Amino acid sequence: MSAAPLLEIDGLVVKYGQAIALDGVSLSLEAGERVALIGPNGAGKTSLLNGVCGLVKPAAGRVLLDGRDLTGRAPGEIVRAGLTQVPEGRQVFPTLPVEANLLLGAYGREFRHELVSATLRYIGRRGEIAVRLERVYSLMPKLRELRERPAGRTSGGEQQMVAIGRALMAEPRLLAIDELSLGLAPLVVQDLSEFLVGLNEEEGVALLLVEQNAVLALELCARAYVLEAGRLVLAGPSDELERNETVRSAYLGGGLEVADAEPGTQAGPSS
Amino acid sequence: MKEFLQLVVVGVSTGSAYALVGIGMVLIFRTTGIVNFAQGSFAVLGGLFMVALVDDIHGLVAGLAAVLVVAFIGSLVGFVAVGFRHRTTPLASLIITLGIALLITSLNLLAFGDRPHTYPTIFDRAWDIGGVLVQPQYVLVAGVTLLAALLLTLGLQRTIAGQALVACADSRRAAELVGIDVRAVAVVAFAVSAGLSALGWVLLTPVDPVNYDSDVRIAINGFAAAAFGGLASIRLAYVGGLVLGVAQQLVVGYADKIPGLGQQARQYELAAALVIMLVLIGWRARNEVHE
Ligand SMILES: Nc1ncnc2c1ncn2[C@@H]1O[C@H](COP(=O)(O)OP(=O)(O)O)[C@@H](O)[C@H]1O
Ligand SMILES: [Mg+2]
Repeated sequence: MSAAPLLEIDGLVVKYGQAIALDGVSLSLEAGERVALIGPNGAGKTSLLNGVCGLVKPAAGRVLLDGRDLTGRAPGEIVRAGLTQVPEGRQVFPTLPVEANLLLGAYGREFRHELVSATLRYIGRRGEIAVRLERVYSLMPKLRELRERPAGRTSGGEQQMVAIGRALMAEPRLLAIDELSLGLAPLVVQDLSEFLVGLNEEEGVALLLVEQNAVLALELCARAYVLEAGRLVLAGPSDELERNETVRSAYLGGGLEVADAEPGTQAGPSS
Repeated sequence: MKEFLQLVVVGVSTGSAYALVGIGMVLIFRTTGIVNFAQGSFAVLGGLFMVALVDDIHGLVAGLAAVLVVAFIGSLVGFVAVGFRHRTTPLASLIITLGIALLITSLNLLAFGDRPHTYPTIFDRAWDIGGVLVQPQYVLVAGVTLLAALLLTLGLQRTIAGQALVACADSRRAAELVGIDVRAVAVVAFAVSAGLSALGWVLLTPVDPVNYDSDVRIAINGFAAAAFGGLASIRLAYVGGLVLGVAQQLVVGYADKIPGLGQQARQYELAAALVIMLVLIGWRARNEVHE
């Protein structure tokens, strides 16, 4: 019997009121893998992450981490189970110093129901957390330089680093990054991409890259899912998808044609 | 000149207490998006509990107990206002706090009656500073208030729990994503705010007796102080409270001199406060535009 995948999503449905943003999506991801989820604006990528991470309760379907059913659990529980999200638009805490932003990533992991016990647990783990902070600083030395600066007064690329660093402080085994490249200069995106690949290959942190920028995502990941209008339309190895006519035409600005989904490609890890 | 200084001293003191109420409103608004109308009730409860306790136990213990009990009540109000599910909108929460304020007012009327309550100050005489008579109680209110505001600011900046509150104010979504339970933080914000408001009136009651229905006046003044900083800045809420307190005393003090107004001046205190505040807020907004 093979071990359960790190993340398994099964028939996930996310609704906002009556509007269906995600209509029964299944995908999975193994420990240490790099996987892309691409699709045009409004396809439901962020909704999928929000459904997985507990920001919105899925209307149907299941979310399993290590085979454990965590559907609809609070965001903190998902973080403790090993999945941390770097949200779209970075969402740093702008008035707090960079270092406080990072430490809150560790603090949030200790948060169960209320503030007092969370704070006590955090203080109890201070030593470990200091070590982790050092680790993040050594991975991203720029953050050490910026440690006292309010996060809102750093550049877009630096804020993306803060958001990634904050996520790493929770010691994730899977990092889900929503629109890494959005609004950032190509050189900055390249730096961040190299960093993430290094993080994946050297630290073994699995990555789920959620991107409108399909070129970037396919280049970084061995395997990808294509989402459109709330449904998966394609899945498979990145090099195959790159050759796929539908995907190619989508790069050029046209929408993906649902009807053109290749019959041969299946949603699921290629083995 | 002496009279002017006298009025300023009183104004700074009452203004400090308004400032604490305003700071509480800012804290709650920033972390939850709720404008808390029960904020004045917390102050009144602080004053009334103090009056009820101070005869039997040491003033310090009584004050501490009053503040803690009100903080606890505040946490309960927060729990209800934020809602049991995640779906309570800020508008619904606002109406809930308004309802709770009315409820507390009625309970106060039942429990304490409709006369003003006060307790004797521990200081037996006023200080004479260059001819200006200063009641030590006023100095106590201003000093403790400043200390409380400083401690709060420091706590929010320097402790991880305080930073968690600021994080919720900065980005509720991101705070949730790192695992912070925003509702639990809101409850703490309500508790701290309630304790601060209570503290103001625990100290102010000897020089400014409290009624079961003083909460409206206090809430409006506190809100005005908070509005001075756009409901966003603790520092500006503090300044707003002081400006408001002083301006009010000056208006009331000098309105006495206008023939025909005389004894009625006090009635215009609140109206005067609001006009002053509107002018100041308008002036601040103008300056921001020009900066
Ligand atoms: N909070 C929300 N309330 C209502 N509709 C939403 C909300 N968030 C997203 N949607 C809708 O859900 C669909 C998917 O959006 P989203 O998940 O953000 O797509 P993507 O991240 O792929 O751009 C869109 O039609 C969007 O308008
Ligand atoms: Mg999105």
